Amino acid sequence: MRQYIFKRLIQFIPLLLGMTFISFIIIQIAPGDYFTQLKMNPEISPETIENMKKLFGLDKPIITQYFYWLKNVFSFNLGESFTYHVPVSYLIKIRLKNTLALSIFSIFLTWIISIPLGIFGAVKEGKFIGKFLSFLAYIGISIPSFFLAMLFIFFISKTGFLPLGGTTSLFYENASFFEKFLDYLKHLLVPGLILTLTGIGSLYRLMKNNFLEVLNSPYIFTAYAKGLPEWKIYLKHALRNAINPMITIFGYELSSILSGAGLVEIITGWPGMGRLILEGVLSSDLYLVMASLLIGGILLIIGNLFSDILLAIVDPRIRLR
Amino acid sequence: MKKILELKNIYVGNEEIKILKNINFEVKKGEVLSIVGESGCGKSMTLRTIIKLLPKNIKILKGKILFNELDITEIQDMERIRGKEIGIIFQEPSSYLNPLFTIGNQIEEAIKNEKSKKLCKEKVFKILQEVGLPENVYYLYPHQLSGGMQQRAMIAMAIVNNPFLLLADEPTTALDVTTALGIINLLKNLVATHNLSVIFVTHDISLARFISDTIIVMYAGFIIEKGTSEEIYNQPLHPYTKKLINCLPEKYRKRERILTIEGEVPSLKNLPSGCPFSNRCDFKIDICEKYLPGEIKFENRIVRCFKYGNIVES
Repeated sequence: MRQYIFKRLIQFIPLLLGMTFISFIIIQIAPGDYFTQLKMNPEISPETIENMKKLFGLDKPIITQYFYWLKNVFSFNLGESFTYHVPVSYLIKIRLKNTLALSIFSIFLTWIISIPLGIFGAVKEGKFIGKFLSFLAYIGISIPSFFLAMLFIFFISKTGFLPLGGTTSLFYENASFFEKFLDYLKHLLVPGLILTLTGIGSLYRLMKNNFLEVLNSPYIFTAYAKGLPEWKIYLKHALRNAINPMITIFGYELSSILSGAGLVEIITGWPGMGRLILEGVLSSDLYLVMASLLIGGILLIIGNLFSDILLAIVDPRIRLR
Repeated sequence: MKKILELKNIYVGNEEIKILKNINFEVKKGEVLSIVGESGCGKSMTLRTIIKLLPKNIKILKGKILFNELDITEIQDMERIRGKEIGIIFQEPSSYLNPLFTIGNQIEEAIKNEKSKKLCKEKVFKILQEVGLPENVYYLYPHQLSGGMQQRAMIAMAIVNNPFLLLADEPTTALDVTTALGIINLLKNLVATHNLSVIFVTHDISLARFISDTIIVMYAGFIIEKGTSEEIYNQPLHPYTKKLINCLPEKYRKRERILTIEGEVPSLKNLPSGCPFSNRCDFKIDICEKYLPGEIKFENRIVRCFKYGNIVES
């Protein structure tokens, strides 16, 4: 097992190199860069722009630039943002905390609701309550997250029920630790609930369908023929088998932690990575975009490895091969 | 001998189709009864009826299933009968064993009336030994066993509570011949040592003759012939049984082709009028297409054919 994980980690190195190389080239090939905007500004002289280019090493060929960037990455220097004039790592550090909080909150909530609900829906399939849940799930899948976000904002601005925008209230500086935590949580609730509500529908349907499929398998018939009580058939034999495909999905979900919430972050004014990445891409902020792609790539790989390990733990057919 | 199971006038199906029609038979203690017929004749459905595990839209429409004088059709909590008093094994043990749990775990959970974990485990080891599996199988997962071993594990699971009756749904079809022979011998031993009654479903009429005391031949949801295995094999009465036996490889003569029965089992939605076998029968007379033959009794035998008398099914 340890050997397997080590082998997988080694395999990731060329993967990461290839991914960053291709995205670096693509960003550079795309017409227009950060300096195109600066050139349009009559107050900035062409000499200043040339100096800036030299400063960032952008006057060299693209391939050289890539290796230059790579060398810096290995010494934990992700470069400097053109727009903010601060190190990219500093920018990411502030935003990463918020995005992680938001993603983990919503992923946790989504899964803790969808999995039991999916089982319940499968057991009640064909009955009124099952049909009603499927109907709700359809609505959940159909409503785009930005629309739900707008509904939320409308509702909250009318009632003032929860704070909107940012991560903290005005009194934050003078509050005790517990109050600070509560305040942060309150701000988190709006984007978090929106993400959860849009995520539940599809996850519920996946879980329900997995469970229904498993309930039709021969070994479930065996379990009935053994005279096991129904709850044990559901919670032992069916659940363990139905949860396996979900683990792979969970791995993918981990990889979208950074960018997955982008739209909702922007609409609800949550200062997270998604917003940062979008702004970076729009202003061709090369090193910012590269850094977020790098982190996203690493997360994808870790997520996949994580789900593979989990799968091996729960499925003896994989573990004992 | 004491009757263990008796099916009386059983009809199974729904509004559209009738899968089993007027099924009557009985199984005595220690008796092995085989049900033979082509695919789609209702053999497996008969077994599933006995433990009341039918597909969702299929129901027992009429009749009684007396199991130790208890009518199964009226029992609500079948959990106390299934696994405990009636065990069942299947054609493909690999898909009928849960891939994610060890054999030991799966046998252990079938044990009823035993609270102590230690005694449960001991019981599993004992039963594993009885079906001819080594002790370490307790800790193995289904995919680590061969087909024959998996089937032995299934048998262990089915008989761990010492049931009165074992239902075997083509348990050797998916196995190669030598492994199958091992399973058959094991079943024969269990019948002798546990005084177990077995209902054995198979395609293979010569295997049925080898293992069983009584044979039932089914066709399109009817029992068309019943008798002791020697009677059925040596003097088949019904044209369908005759044809089945003529198809056996051991009846093959040099420079001839192995015989087959032309046509196929009619779909239950589209049965021929009259006798369901009439469209494939060589002895067809006018009445066969008009009326359904009833059960004609010869001493202990039953046959459903107009060749042997004009009894019409009501």
